[in-house]
Amino acid sequence: MPNDVGRINIDYSAFISKKVRFLPMLGKKSEESSVSIDMMTKQRRYEALVKALHADVFRYAVWLIKDRTIAEDVVQETFLRAWKSLDSLQDEAAAKSWLITILRRENARRFERKQFDLVDIDDVSVADPVAPSDGNVENRDLRRAIASLSDEYREPIVLQVLMGFSGDEIAEQLGLNKNTVMTRLFRARSQIKEIMTKDHELGVSING
Amino acid sequence: MDDITFRRIIYTDPFTTDKEVVEAAKNDPKKQAFWEEIRAMESAMQEAMDIPVPEDLADKLILRQSMNDFKQKKKQRPWYLALAASVVFASVLTIGLIGSSSQGLASDVFAHMSHMEYEINKYGPTDLASVNSKLATYNGQIKEGFGEIVSANYCYLDSIKSLHLIIKGEKGLTSLFVVPSQLAEPLDESFSNDVYTGSAFLLESAKVIVVSEDPSQVSAITQKAKEFLSFSI
Repeated sequence: MPNDVGRINIDYSAFISKKVRFLPMLGKKSEESSVSIDMMTKQRRYEALVKALHADVFRYAVWLIKDRTIAEDVVQETFLRAWKSLDSLQDEAAAKSWLITILRRENARRFERKQFDLVDIDDVSVADPVAPSDGNVENRDLRRAIASLSDEYREPIVLQVLMGFSGDEIAEQLGLNKNTVMTRLFRARSQIKEIMTKDHELGVSING
Repeated sequence: MDDITFRRIIYTDPFTTDKEVVEAAKNDPKKQAFWEEIRAMESAMQEAMDIPVPEDLADKLILRQSMNDFKQKKKQRPWYLALAASVVFASVLTIGLIGSSSQGLASDVFAHMSHMEYEINKYGPTDLASVNSKLATYNGQIKEGFGEIVSANYCYLDSIKSLHLIIKGEKGLTSLFVVPSQLAEPLDESFSNDVYTGSAFLLESAKVIVVSEDPSQVSAITQKAKEFLSFSI
């Protein structure tokens, strides 16, 4: 009987909302040492983590960085680092914020590394900085509005709306106190509302 | 509740269940309208933030990790192992037994052969589109007319993430493995054990390995693979 690694039980239910199918790792001999089985367990844990959270982590990276290509690179680095320190993730329920912490650190590293060849974002003209156009005007305008927020407002609102973080979780992630987070969420939304209202009025006056 | 406080709470959390906020909205149509407007904006924001994710990102992340891990393992071999390896290699040279260096990969390939039924039951059947989406991980593509593929499924050969296709032929099942060529250890062009015969060849950026019980199947599928499979670099 070949060693069916599917029998190793790991509880991912805490952080996997959708059903995740594992990639099988067949072909390993039954005399597999416990070290290799540990490696396989780690591999499976990693793959489950990737499948459950890569989309959210990528989206967050794009909103943080405002460039899909760089965001994808940073996500690659993030998951590579996650693999290396996977043993330190004890509580699967904390996986999302654990990955976001790594991602923010990786992003900061990018600035340390590349401080001399940075492009000033204001010099780059971008129609929709975060996504290929989907033809939905309201989406596009909203994306522009969200992207135009300064980092200090954009990050908390993306953590709340996209990642579903609570005020306390955002405070912990960003190293701020909760009142500051609440103020920033308030200002972020009122700025977005203001931009959207202006756009709308402008649209009406041009069309009218 | 005054207007400013009401707006502040709504702007901070549009889906608040705060009793005072609910009460205030109930008693003031203007407040209610404002809340509804912000809730609508919130739903639109959720949709706007939900930007498309590259389809192959998860596969890339898994592949990148196994590549990296593989390189690390290569790098991390201590010096005395390298020395020992050199001694072994020198002895092998002396005795003239070269040619058995690829046992790791070959034995993993053979091990997979005994899993074919299991894989078909668990992962089959498949279709051309899904085979192609899996091949895309290796920048590969398969044309229509290749033959009946009954299962397509990622697996590990010598700790490298590979794609295992099982093909139904006239004389039983044949396996075709796709391994990134830069990672694959050298494997003889043709190899065999008591039961199986295999052939290994490079197709652009991929190493393709075909294995079957029947040698004639191996050469038939090898021919077909060269014709119908392609990998961009």
